[in-house]
Amino acid sequence: AALGLYFPRKEYLENVYIDESAGMPLLRIHALKDSREEMAHFHLCQNLIISRARSHENNWFQIREKTGVLYLSKSLDREDFNMLSVGNWMPLSKVMLYVFLSSHPFQEKECDSATRTTVFLSLINATAPACSSLTARQLCFTEMDLSFHIKENKPPGIFHQLQLPSVHHLCQNLSISYKLLAAEGVPFWYNENTTSVRVTQRLDREERERYELIAKCTVREGFREMQVEVPFLVNVLDEDDSPPFLPNGTDTADAVVEFNRKEGTVLAMLTVYDADTTPIYPLESSRKKYTGTIITDDPWISETFRVEHIFDEIHFSPNGSQVRGTRHEYKLVLNKSISVTEHRSFQLDVLVNDTEFHGPERSVMLHFNVSILPVSIQFSNITYQFTVNRNAERFAQIGKICIENCMKFRGVNITYKLLSPNGSCYPVSILQGREDKYGSLYVNDSSVLRRPECKEIQYIVQATDKQSRKHTKTLLTVVLEGTLLKKEEDCPDSCAISKHRAECEECGGLGVLTGRCQWRQGSGKGITTNYSTCTPSIKTCPDGICDVVEGRDPAVCPQDCTSGNIIGGHGKGIGNLGIKSGHGICYCFPRQNCYCEKDDIKEPLCDDVCKTVI
Amino acid sequence: LAGPPSPPGLAPPGWRGPVDCVRANELCAGEPSCSSRYRTLRQCLAGRDRNTMLANKECQAALEVLQESALYHCRCKRGMKKELQCLQIYWSIHLGLTEGEEFYEASPYEPVTSRLSDIFRLASIFSGMDPAATSRSNHCLDAAKACNLNDNCKRLRSGYISTCSRELSATEPCSRRKCHKALRQFFDRVPGEFTFRLLFCSCKDRACAERRRQTIVPSCSYEDKDKPNCLDLRGACRADHLCRSRLADFHTNCQATFQFLTACPGDNFQACLGSYAGLIGFDITPNYVDASTTSITISPWCSCKGSGNMEEECEKFLRDFTENPCLRNAIQAFGNGTDVHPAP
Repeated sequence: AALGLYFPRKEYLENVYIDESAGMPLLRIHALKDSREEMAHFHLCQNLIISRARSHENNWFQIREKTGVLYLSKSLDREDFNMLSVGNWMPLSKVMLYVFLSSHPFQEKECDSATRTTVFLSLINATAPACSSLTARQLCFTEMDLSFHIKENKPPGIFHQLQLPSVHHLCQNLSISYKLLAAEGVPFWYNENTTSVRVTQRLDREERERYELIAKCTVREGFREMQVEVPFLVNVLDEDDSPPFLPNGTDTADAVVEFNRKEGTVLAMLTVYDADTTPIYPLESSRKKYTGTIITDDPWISETFRVEHIFDEIHFSPNGSQVRGTRHEYKLVLNKSISVTEHRSFQLDVLVNDTEFHGPERSVMLHFNVSILPVSIQFSNITYQFTVNRNAERFAQIGKICIENCMKFRGVNITYKLLSPNGSCYPVSILQGREDKYGSLYVNDSSVLRRPECKEIQYIVQATDKQSRKHTKTLLTVVLEGTLLKKEEDCPDSCAISKHRAECEECGGLGVLTGRCQWRQGSGKGITTNYSTCTPSIKTCPDGICDVVEGRDPAVCPQDCTSGNIIGGHGKGIGNLGIKSGHGICYCFPRQNCYCEKDDIKEPLCDDVCKTVI
Repeated sequence: LAGPPSPPGLAPPGWRGPVDCVRANELCAGEPSCSSRYRTLRQCLAGRDRNTMLANKECQAALEVLQESALYHCRCKRGMKKELQCLQIYWSIHLGLTEGEEFYEASPYEPVTSRLSDIFRLASIFSGMDPAATSRSNHCLDAAKACNLNDNCKRLRSGYISTCSRELSATEPCSRRKCHKALRQFFDRVPGEFTFRLLFCSCKDRACAERRRQTIVPSCSYEDKDKPNCLDLRGACRADHLCRSRLADFHTNCQATFQFLTACPGDNFQACLGSYAGLIGFDITPNYVDASTTSITISPWCSCKGSGNMEEECEKFLRDFTENPCLRNAIQAFGNGTDVHPAP
């Protein structure tokens, strides 16, 4: 059986001075019990641990097995001090002792019990100071906080003694008395004769988990009186004594699979509360203590779905005071992408089990009403018609092709293909858009646009779902319009090279729709996303996204796609691609640098002559 | 007020002050009796706890012999060559012996003997400003200017700033790992008179305090989507020799104590600030939580939510950052240009 006895503190601290006499009590350790019959026995590990990982046989300290009083059995002289502080480079020499606890007298004095507390002894390189030189704080309390922890549901008992044994022993001419200041009805009792503090009843953490009291100490020396107050804190430790429950009794949720069929999609979530705390550290062990299991015989269901469990701390207020509890969330998640043809409905049950709670209501059943709807791969009953200017250049973006609801799809891969018509006019091609949701139609061969015999071209577009091979077709008409413009001489092939509005608008470049580049006039001041620049089409470039068509050739839209140097004030785009923001005008030499700078050619200033005229 | 401890009188013969562990390891390897005991001890410590180890005669004998060797008392230096190797040697002995479960661990680094006053003396050489102007100026901006005038500081500072602010993708604002590495380089290789001025400049207005908070590019090096539990963070840090050592160093040098007037061990502000800066670039990276000018609150990016029965321990750990009088006094003393002068 597990040892029920435990220490209400993890650490104790006291000072030890040179040449203090043998028999001097240093501090008193208490133990609390699991059952009334238990008797606490204390013993020391026979090694002193010196910081810097040295240890030494303990020749000086002993503990009274029944009372827990730690005392000096032999005084420490200067030689002992020097020996214990070798290699101890800390400003303070400290030695550490482990105190062990057992419910029966110790047979073998070994350091191996799990229930132990640590005593730190600060070795002070001086003889004990005179009582009169000590402050009230030093006479009344040690440096360590008065902070205790008491397990819930355990029998009452004494857990602390306020009086410091060493001070009491040395400073008998001083009168030191204590009081424990507490609100009415607090389950602690202070015994003035022994200065011991007792917990008077079994505590319930779910009622209250923290008690804040004040220890007040009064020192009288003749007519002089000094007082000092310190906080006295008691934390109630939790055990798993509450079953899981459902907030508002909700144990059912709908889970619909339609357009979003991707692996990892969260379909629905149900919440379970527990008044007990659940440590998130270490995380995995807490997950194992609170399980959520899909109850099914159907291998398809267990392969296709999984349950994800997350939990966090919430607060309950049972009677005004706040106590911590846990909210467990169970999410039903797709374990793999589901085919567009799948169609079924069923109830999926998840058993939640609080494995450490020992009672009949340790589990709850959650129900998910799952409906998997098929989705159709079809074009809405329109045929596509796009007009393309005969002066458009290669990589000009004409439009998007999209099956019904295509933008809502996730986890469905659609490929778009153009089935070529009869004849020789094929100016356009298609590329897959982002996440295979749509197809981008663009000019692939601009020379075809210039041929007079090509006027209206009909294509068949086919969209195919990769997984189910389901496909659908529709008609696409491309109408060529406009008259051919004369090509300007000396124009660069990329719009982005042009630095001024005039040269921008009189030239064409890769990706232009009507034969001419477009100028975007920025309005912002400083470094802005709305910088001035020359682009094939303001709609697509620069929009901060390097799309599939722009990505085909670095000359189309380096403002969105460049990975090279940008000289001048700027901010880079996502993934270090493109110019997200720039100062003044940004222009680029494809495959080389981009520059962002303020245009220094100003409007002619009004000179003195002009001013006098005005 | 207790002075610094007197140097231990019983050091092994011929051994003055701590040797670094890399050197100590070489010394031990050259001595057959030492190297065989070291091997034995390492085998004893592997996978066993301290108590079972001490029960074994052979292990105990090895330990006794090694306690007399330089290897046992060796230390490492911050930013030394082969720092990681040095720390690995250190923890190979000490991890098994201290059980690794202590709340505070002793620092494997050599004690810092220099004082803040040394920094002030150097700082005044290149600041050279008159006090009237100083009272109105933005100290954090001055610190950045001073750094930019020094080639080494400027290079490593712009190095970490560009690494930490490089956006990778829409979901990943930066590479935290690379940012941390660049920050560690900056704080290890640039002298304290530059780095401390950037980190601990004193502020009278929000713009200055915001600049101070932004020093380490917190959006990348500090903040995260979720706040982990502080004990979880400490566990992750202790799994790494370098982080564990820096945390132990912080606990050794910044642990508040009533024994000294300033609340700092040995009244040594420099040591506390140095070990604080040593934490930057690790999981446990601390920073100012806001741009407040009146109160300075420091914290790592963690909370005590979800601590269960360990809440008390978690809060104690967190308080060493958020409510630490030693750390606060040290930062304020640096900002004011004051230092305590150690007893001779």
